[in-house]
Amino acid sequence: MNCVEFRRQLAIDPHASAADFVQHRAECPRCAEAHARALTFENGLARALNVAVPAQLAEAILFAQTTAERRRRTGLRRISMFAVAAALVLAIGVVGMRAEAKPLSLQAVEHLRKEEDVLVLTKPIAADEVSEVFAKRGVVLKQVPDDISFVAPCPVGEHRSVHVVMPTADGPVTVIYVADQKLAAAEDFERDGLRGRSMPVGNGTLILLAKSSAEFARIGNLWRAAIAG
Amino acid sequence: MSPVSSKQRQFDALVRGYSGDLFRYAYWLCGEEALAQDLVQESFLRAWRSLDSLRETGAAKAWLITILRREHARLYERKTPQLVDVDDVEVADDREALTPEGAGEDALIRAAMLKLDVKYREPLLMQVLGGFSCEEIARELNISSAAVMTQLFRARQKLKAILGGEPIEAQVYELR
Repeated sequence: MNCVEFRRQLAIDPHASAADFVQHRAECPRCAEAHARALTFENGLARALNVAVPAQLAEAILFAQTTAERRRRTGLRRISMFAVAAALVLAIGVVGMRAEAKPLSLQAVEHLRKEEDVLVLTKPIAADEVSEVFAKRGVVLKQVPDDISFVAPCPVGEHRSVHVVMPTADGPVTVIYVADQKLAAAEDFERDGLRGRSMPVGNGTLILLAKSSAEFARIGNLWRAAIAG
Repeated sequence: MSPVSSKQRQFDALVRGYSGDLFRYAYWLCGEEALAQDLVQESFLRAWRSLDSLRETGAAKAWLITILRREHARLYERKTPQLVDVDDVEVADDREALTPEGAGEDALIRAAMLKLDVKYREPLLMQVLGGFSCEEIARELNISSAAVMTQLFRARQKLKAILGGEPIEAQVYELR
């Protein structure tokens, strides 16, 4: 591959990993610099395209679908009980097809990576708003920790979860509470350059993610008191 | 209380997993937040009706994007959307999450994206937002891989020209 071919491929796919592309980049300092500039541009492009998704979009879609489905089922029942029975048989037939889930810790890190923009928020969120978001996940907070700069009822993988960010002197700590799955025991982990700790709290799992684990014990205790009392 | 069907659980996971990505894709197709929301909702309702045709979980995102693109095409058949001056477009954004420099740069790139012809914008969206390969984009757009590569090349060419206003060839090859 020569320089012109490399630059053309660079404009087609800056993340290309073909052997001749990688080899030319390693051997040609000017093309390596162009590659670095292209990746900077791509990062800016990806960030600009990552527009904010309306709050409650998933809930609105599911509400519309379940409402339409209920209406359809009522209509079907009127037409034929047999058709309803057939639909139930079909539904029973596909039980068990659900793919095995990834580890919660990995799903939490992947979620954080998709929403890294919120890590820079610092303005405190009102306690009422935090309680309201947890209530949507069926969790009644006994008290609300201070210094929360972001809270949202985000899905983590297929799990019903709450995503929280807490700025600290050691950098932002991401707190993810997975309301529908409880791990058997606490564990520390490290993934993708992030330190993490997951622990059973209440009926779910609390996951803490940050570059440093210095604040994990303090923040873990705050949330244990808030959720489990 | 009736048990939730496995189909409903599968659909729930699809909505929670992909509605954000689909919204962003729809937004960059039509350039309007409210219209993008409608497109995404209608696409998911169609997806629910044909969920049994989804055979592989790994193909879910591409399958949803296909439905969304068809829904978008139907919309354009039904009505001529109001033309929006891209200079007046305000993109939904968490402004507090960005530095002033970052917000300004993002606004420039967003305005430039909306100026790109859909023919160039779509493959670029599929690659950057969707993470699709040239072959996958070719299948989705029903064109050859070579045509996709040309469109991606030109999309970046045009985008950089809009942003920088510099001679296109010099911008892309950067062999000055």
